[in-house]
Amino acid sequence: MAIVNRVEYALTQPVDFVVVGSGSAGGILAKELAVSGFSVVVLEQGPYREASEFTHDEFDVVLNSSLTGGRPSANPQTFRHDDDEVAKVPFRRNPAWYYEGVGGASVHFTANFWRLREIDFKERSVLGPIGGTNFADWPISYEELEPYYTKVDWEIGVSGAPGPFDSPRSRPFPVPPMPVKSSGVLLEKGAKAIGFHAQPAPLAILSRPLNGRPACINCGYCMGFGCEIGAKSSTLAAMIPQALASGKCEIRPDSAVFNLELAEDGRVSEVQYIDADGNQRGQKARAVILSANGAETSRLLLLSENSRHPDGLANSSGFVGRNLMMNAHATVHAVFEHRLNDYKGVQVTRIVHDLYESDPKRGFYGGGGFDARPFLGATPIMFSLTQQRRDRPQWGAEFKDRLAHNFTRQMAILCNATSLPLDRNNITIDPTHKDKWGRPSLRMTYRDHDDDLANARYMQGFAEQMAEAAGAIEQWSPPVTPSAGGAHLLGTCRMGDDPETSVVDRYHRSHDVPNLFICDGSSMVTSGRGQPTMTIMALAFRAAEHIAKAAGANEI
Amino acid sequence: MARDTISRRHFMQGSGAVAGGTLIRLGMPAAMAAAQAACTARDEGAVFETLTEDEARELDAIAARILPTTHTPGARDAGVIYFIDTVLGKQLAGMLDRVRSGLVEFQAGLAGPTRFSALDESAQDAYLAERERSRFFGTMRMLTLIGFLAMERYGGNRDSVGWKLIGFEGHGAAQPPFGYYDAQYMEAERDGDR
Repeated sequence: MAIVNRVEYALTQPVDFVVVGSGSAGGILAKELAVSGFSVVVLEQGPYREASEFTHDEFDVVLNSSLTGGRPSANPQTFRHDDDEVAKVPFRRNPAWYYEGVGGASVHFTANFWRLREIDFKERSVLGPIGGTNFADWPISYEELEPYYTKVDWEIGVSGAPGPFDSPRSRPFPVPPMPVKSSGVLLEKGAKAIGFHAQPAPLAILSRPLNGRPACINCGYCMGFGCEIGAKSSTLAAMIPQALASGKCEIRPDSAVFNLELAEDGRVSEVQYIDADGNQRGQKARAVILSANGAETSRLLLLSENSRHPDGLANSSGFVGRNLMMNAHATVHAVFEHRLNDYKGVQVTRIVHDLYESDPKRGFYGGGGFDARPFLGATPIMFSLTQQRRDRPQWGAEFKDRLAHNFTRQMAILCNATSLPLDRNNITIDPTHKDKWGRPSLRMTYRDHDDDLANARYMQGFAEQMAEAAGAIEQWSPPVTPSAGGAHLLGTCRMGDDPETSVVDRYHRSHDVPNLFICDGSSMVTSGRGQPTMTIMALAFRAAEHIAKAAGANEI
Repeated sequence: MARDTISRRHFMQGSGAVAGGTLIRLGMPAAMAAAQAACTARDEGAVFETLTEDEARELDAIAARILPTTHTPGARDAGVIYFIDTVLGKQLAGMLDRVRSGLVEFQAGLAGPTRFSALDESAQDAYLAERERSRFFGTMRMLTLIGFLAMERYGGNRDSVGWKLIGFEGHGAAQPPFGYYDAQYMEAERDGDR
């Protein structure tokens, strides 16, 4: 569908802000700044799809990657574990996995919506240094971010109920948790049996109508799909309509940015992009905000190198693209006697946070949270291709009988865990391949820290105990192996007070380029325990407030 | 092609709600309903559009061992070969050459007859077991599973045979309780046990 803009800006007239990316952060920044009266142009590389255009077509969405930029062969990124390898284009799915279009990954994400806790912001101080890593405290505290978490709860729309380990909140959840599913009941039972504490899962999915948006209908197509009724709290559903209604925000979909042009005074003057017809355009701007996700923001800065910034724009620290954290994880699959029908409804209804904090006694850094869900077994094809036990026949009558028996009786316990920030895990520019616009491809180099893998395995052991205690008649645990890609693209332009070891300051302003701001998953200093979107959105609300203040005071 | 039509029909009658009906009744968006109405699962005996008759016969025989028809329906009952024929001409056209040359190589490895489809079932299974690590087999397994479980608009999963087999009741709106354990939980809550 064509987007209907109430305002259109001329390319040659500088707008107050160009926002690159319209996802979890970009959608919020665009709306907040436009509603505050600033002129805003959003450049989004993907198309604009309305809620009514989302389908349940698994073959198209999952196997053709129709929402995520296309198959790798047509739009390559490359991946390698170690920097002495030549990075390769994967077969099924690109390593930096994100929804390409207005709303960004908040459109197709699972909607798990955990806040960070007080400890997340100061772990380095509490635990001490970890050799060979860039482990650091955040420049801000939980208390500083809390009002913005609450803003996300109410303006974006979060369902849930407080849990025993949550950090303090200033306001209750706006809507109650989603109804518990069989997977949640079983996780709760297993957790109780081993002395753990299950709590309702906070989700960016509405259990009751809120802000003119409807409640979830339990169709089950959350993870990897767009919500056709707008109950999932994407920025597409919650922010973009308000941004457009302000009359100050023009959203240009199908606009792939390839360069930030620097003027003589050292400030970004123009954002250059390829439009829907393949023409190169340049939008003049007084200030620029990058919210293109941790992978694409980094690529764009590296591509925007110039004589003054030979290693990439805003990269005097050398930290652009570095410290990529994707959240280590482990899975336990479990089959039960009776039907769960876990393919219905939202993915997750119960979580367990007893192992959230790192404990030096374990001998490794790390923490995490458990959840129970159908996982990729929520949809029939992915269930058959990915959720099967490898030490059983993979075809034939027995295989078919297992499909028939298990689809409605199987669930997974996921261990969502930490990643340490490392130099070796990064986004760089691929020397060979080009994406579908002809831009040099994104290259990911990633090998989880040994502690990340040890922690994921440690958690997996507890997940096995919970599955057994819940009464699983069969369970199996895929081995924990180094990640080869992910949807959590964190840490690559981290915030910090020291320009030597961070890319942006505590208000998301580049240390190097005064009118350049960066706000998305790349801003995060540590990884949290998975489920980063809530924090990305809170950071965006906070950044918008400070950026508006600075612009109002003529301090940009 | 021998097939157990009686048990297949019995299975169809005994299965639960028809997915398409659920979808429309529960008022899903019009685009979804239209997609469902426009489904193009092909009937048995339809003409192949991409594959030759020989290729189709052989690929069909392979798919029929990956998901065999037993007391419950298999790949043949779902018309998986028509899915393969459809997508290799359209969405997965880039794979057609690989499947073609893979089939030639697969047949060339046969010891006795030159056609896989001419073997009896146990000989077919034995040969597939030999080849199960090959790229061609991996591709055929993937295509068979997708064809069995994809929306009918891609040519397979005829009459939602695949969805009914696994107990997938469609993807419309649903109301809790969804399964046995949450139903129990709700009941206990209602009775004040919790």
